[in-house]
Amino acid sequence: MNKTKAKIFLVDDHPLVREWLTNLIHQQPDLVVCGESEDAPDALQQISAIKPDVAIVDISIKQGSGIELIKNLKAGHPDLAMIVLSMHDERLYAERALRAGARGYIMKSETAKKVITAIRQVLAGKIYMSESITAAFAEKFVDGRLPSGGSLVEKLSDRELEVFQLLGKGYETRQVAEMMMVSMKTVQAHCAHIKEKLKLTNAAELLREAVRWQENHPAS
Amino acid sequence: MLGFIKQLEDRSRFGLIVLAFVIIAVIGWVDYLTGYEISFSVFYLLSVALAVWFVGKWFGVLVSALSVAVWVVGDFASGARFANPLVPIWNALVVLTFYLVVVWLLANLRSFHQNLELQVRQRTRALTEEIAERERLERELLEISEREQRRIGQDLHDGLCQHLTGATLAGQVLEEKLAARGLPETTDASRVVEIVEEGINLSRRLAKGLYPVEMAADGLMLALEEFAATSSALFKVTCRFECDSPVLVHDTATAGHLYRIAQEAVRNAIKHGRAKNILIRLEAGETGNELSIRDDGTGLPDPLPKERGMGLRIMAHRSAMIGAKFEVRRGEPGGTVVTCEVKNVPVRETI
Repeated sequence: MNKTKAKIFLVDDHPLVREWLTNLIHQQPDLVVCGESEDAPDALQQISAIKPDVAIVDISIKQGSGIELIKNLKAGHPDLAMIVLSMHDERLYAERALRAGARGYIMKSETAKKVITAIRQVLAGKIYMSESITAAFAEKFVDGRLPSGGSLVEKLSDRELEVFQLLGKGYETRQVAEMMMVSMKTVQAHCAHIKEKLKLTNAAELLREAVRWQENHPAS
Repeated sequence: MLGFIKQLEDRSRFGLIVLAFVIIAVIGWVDYLTGYEISFSVFYLLSVALAVWFVGKWFGVLVSALSVAVWVVGDFASGARFANPLVPIWNALVVLTFYLVVVWLLANLRSFHQNLELQVRQRTRALTEEIAERERLERELLEISEREQRRIGQDLHDGLCQHLTGATLAGQVLEEKLAARGLPETTDASRVVEIVEEGINLSRRLAKGLYPVEMAADGLMLALEEFAATSSALFKVTCRFECDSPVLVHDTATAGHLYRIAQEAVRNAIKHGRAKNILIRLEAGETGNELSIRDDGTGLPDPLPKERGMGLRIMAHRSAMIGAKFEVRRGEPGGTVVTCEVKNVPVRETI
């Protein structure tokens, strides 16, 4: 019987959450919890042995970060679907978690009602995000704020693209100015133009776009 | 006069002793030249005073005796004759007594003066220490309150919220069990889950108030943006956040203090300055990051009321704790400008 059930692995440092998440999952006829862990090294070891279908990972866990764990799991187990379950603000972490390799992001305050739906969705090969984050992503897409590589290069001047790429590589404004041998004011002016052209509302968004673009175009 | 005395005090003792003798010699010489009919006894006081004040009481007594001797010898040398040999002795004793009284008075005045100076120095030192101690305590108080707020915030976030999450999961299990048996209490169980979920959101908001900046380098940008939006909505003012290029603050404590400084400045602008427009800027500069808060309010009153002085001092303390340069000034054309410049720390983090 168990063989037909999808195996779920839990990584969370709070025992009460693990206990009742297990109870909730066990109540579903098609799901079973195959193991649990409260820190990253143990989780990596157990998951390699058990080979679950889905891992539910908290961002803040004992020893190590959940995001790093997801990156490691993604590298070692490309077929494993991962859902991030976190108390942290989804606007800050959802995109980061998805970029790291997660297929879903749930805020803990919405877990009870959403977690089973999320598990089924990722098992079906889809991505699960909250409505507000999905809406925010969709809006960006419609506004053309999620430009493809080609259109981005067309939109930005050479210098702007250089700033954008350096920011994406993790350099700070000051370092970008040094590397391009221009003043901070010039870099800031470039940033303002990039934001305008890509319809980004703030510098944090600019940074995120730059990092995202850089990850998709590592050769550039 | 005081400056002259101070100058003499700085001279060496030996030099002053020589000076006292030179003065006696000069006055004695002039006394001799002017003849015995004009009395010069009072001028020797100059040498006596110098000796008591700058060298000591016993040297004063010696100089007094020497002065009397020179004076008597001078008079005799310039031809003074007395009918009774006791007269010059009597005169010499009167003058000597007069000199000794002056020596006694000056010596007492001198020691009184020295004591006073010593006391002033001691009091000043005590006061300086007291001020330093109070400043240290104020800083410590700030650190403790910051630490405690962060701790409570983290406990709420990581402890209570997780516990409540467990409760919602347990409620959900109950709801599904009730639903499986087709019981009408299912909706009640569902409502309980919703109520506890609202509780999680409330605690998260509470935790955010206590511990506003998330632990990522770009957390400050997001926190300030959210703060500007909340302030605009809450206080019916236009509060904007501007940040041209990304400003990453890697140190959580620094980010926290910068956030609190912005919070205090905005609160002041609204509450005391009755500002309608507030601009929070976070800029990456050549030497460091700069946070500035400008408003179009009434500006700083002069003198500052006590409670506002406290608020400004806390902002200054926060800046000092993160090694930042802090400044509050009147804006152009009006309002207040608060700036806080944090020097770069050579840390780089790839995102």
